[in-house]
Amino acid sequence: MKKTMLALFTLAALGGCADPNGTPRTFANSDLELAVGNAARMGCSCLFVMEMPEAYCRAWVKASPDVAKLSFDVANKRVESSSFVSFAATARYVDEKRGCILE
Amino acid sequence: MRATLKSLALSCALGASLASAQTCPTRASWPTDEWPVNLVDATARAAPIKALEDFAFTLVGTDAERKGFRTDGLVIIKNGVLVYERYGRGHDATKRHISWSVAKSFSSALVGIAVREGALTLDDSICKHLPEYEGTAQCAITVKDAITFGTALGWQEEYENASYQVSSVIAMLYGAGHRDQLKHILTHKLVAEPGKRWSYSTGDAELASALAKRALAKAHGKDVFWKLLFEPIGMKRVVFEEDVLGTPLGGSMVFATPREFAKFGFLFMNDGCWNGARIMPEGWVASSVTPSDVFTATAPDTEDTPSGYSWWLNKASPARNKPKPWADLPDDTYAALGHWGQRIIVVPSEDLVVVRTGDDREGSIDVNELTKLSLAVTR
Repeated sequence: MKKTMLALFTLAALGGCADPNGTPRTFANSDLELAVGNAARMGCSCLFVMEMPEAYCRAWVKASPDVAKLSFDVANKRVESSSFVSFAATARYVDEKRGCILE
Repeated sequence: MRATLKSLALSCALGASLASAQTCPTRASWPTDEWPVNLVDATARAAPIKALEDFAFTLVGTDAERKGFRTDGLVIIKNGVLVYERYGRGHDATKRHISWSVAKSFSSALVGIAVREGALTLDDSICKHLPEYEGTAQCAITVKDAITFGTALGWQEEYENASYQVSSVIAMLYGAGHRDQLKHILTHKLVAEPGKRWSYSTGDAELASALAKRALAKAHGKDVFWKLLFEPIGMKRVVFEEDVLGTPLGGSMVFATPREFAKFGFLFMNDGCWNGARIMPEGWVASSVTPSDVFTATAPDTEDTPSGYSWWLNKASPARNKPKPWADLPDDTYAALGHWGQRIIVVPSEDLVVVRTGDDREGSIDVNELTKLSLAVTR
């Protein structure tokens, strides 16, 4: 079931690549996988680098498709995001010069 | 006689060079610690302030709808003094803001510092500094190509409004390329001869920052950007994010307060000098704000704003039959521009720096109008 869902998402994503100007290179990540990476990465920078409130950051990183879960671990300076079809991403705060990285 | 003339000419050239090398602008003060503050008279300047704020700070619809210009910070520096400052949407003077592509102008500046240090030259192959790519076709790319959007890599600069799968940027920051972003950039194939095709690219700028770090870190360590740029000009809290392998994300991920971003604009407005010390090499700023050869010769007709070393310029392009892009602003205006309306705008003839941070999700704030209204506040 999980594999079927993943394949469907990937096909749906690749199906959106037609370009009237030519055939652009396509990258293998699905929309949901990219949205999960975006939410974790930008959520971490928003909370720990920009030092904005959690509610602001949840709104700031919101993209389409919306991720199913976004968790802010303030004590350990980590942000995790995940979707219902198993994609997950974690970003962590490194230091005051380098901010956050997506693991 | 010929030898005498030659000697005389050489002496004159050296003399001019030395005089120029010693010349850095003088100022009553430098904002290394804090900007001097002398706010414009809110009563006397009420009308132009209202016009500026109506333009920049009027929110449209609900926050969730993300409509209109959503200004988070606006700072105006006139004659080296902070004369206007306002924040919105929960931001304040202490909060860092994302730069998005304003970072590209930082990356080209860091390449300039590497040139000053003798750590690289603009004509170097990128592979001289990235030896792991030796033997690849990408070695035809020079350092200069990286700071002028001239690598000719088949980069696809798309954002959230396009299909995610065709965006080289989204794949690099959040997808398959995020762990080794340099590899992601340099596995794009060349689609033309480097230096012969202008194409705006976050990959080019990140490559530039990687080159600067590689070249400089050997002598100065991994914190070299802070040591040679940010600390000397008082950008005390700047964050420059990296991937897990330490490649700086120099196309998009610099975070600083608006007051700090203004210091970077002020550095360029002062010919790359800071309090008598030359941060940027002599002539670097002039080259940065001159349309690049690759832009002039090959930029698509849809591109109205000329670029130099990753700065955007208010220059007419007679060869391209284009007027200057910001009609109401002086010809010497230039800017660092970023997604969602991030701006550092420099107007040397007005001794003016304007920094605007924002979150514009449907069309970014107009440089011409923003700067025109800001100038009116200062007059």
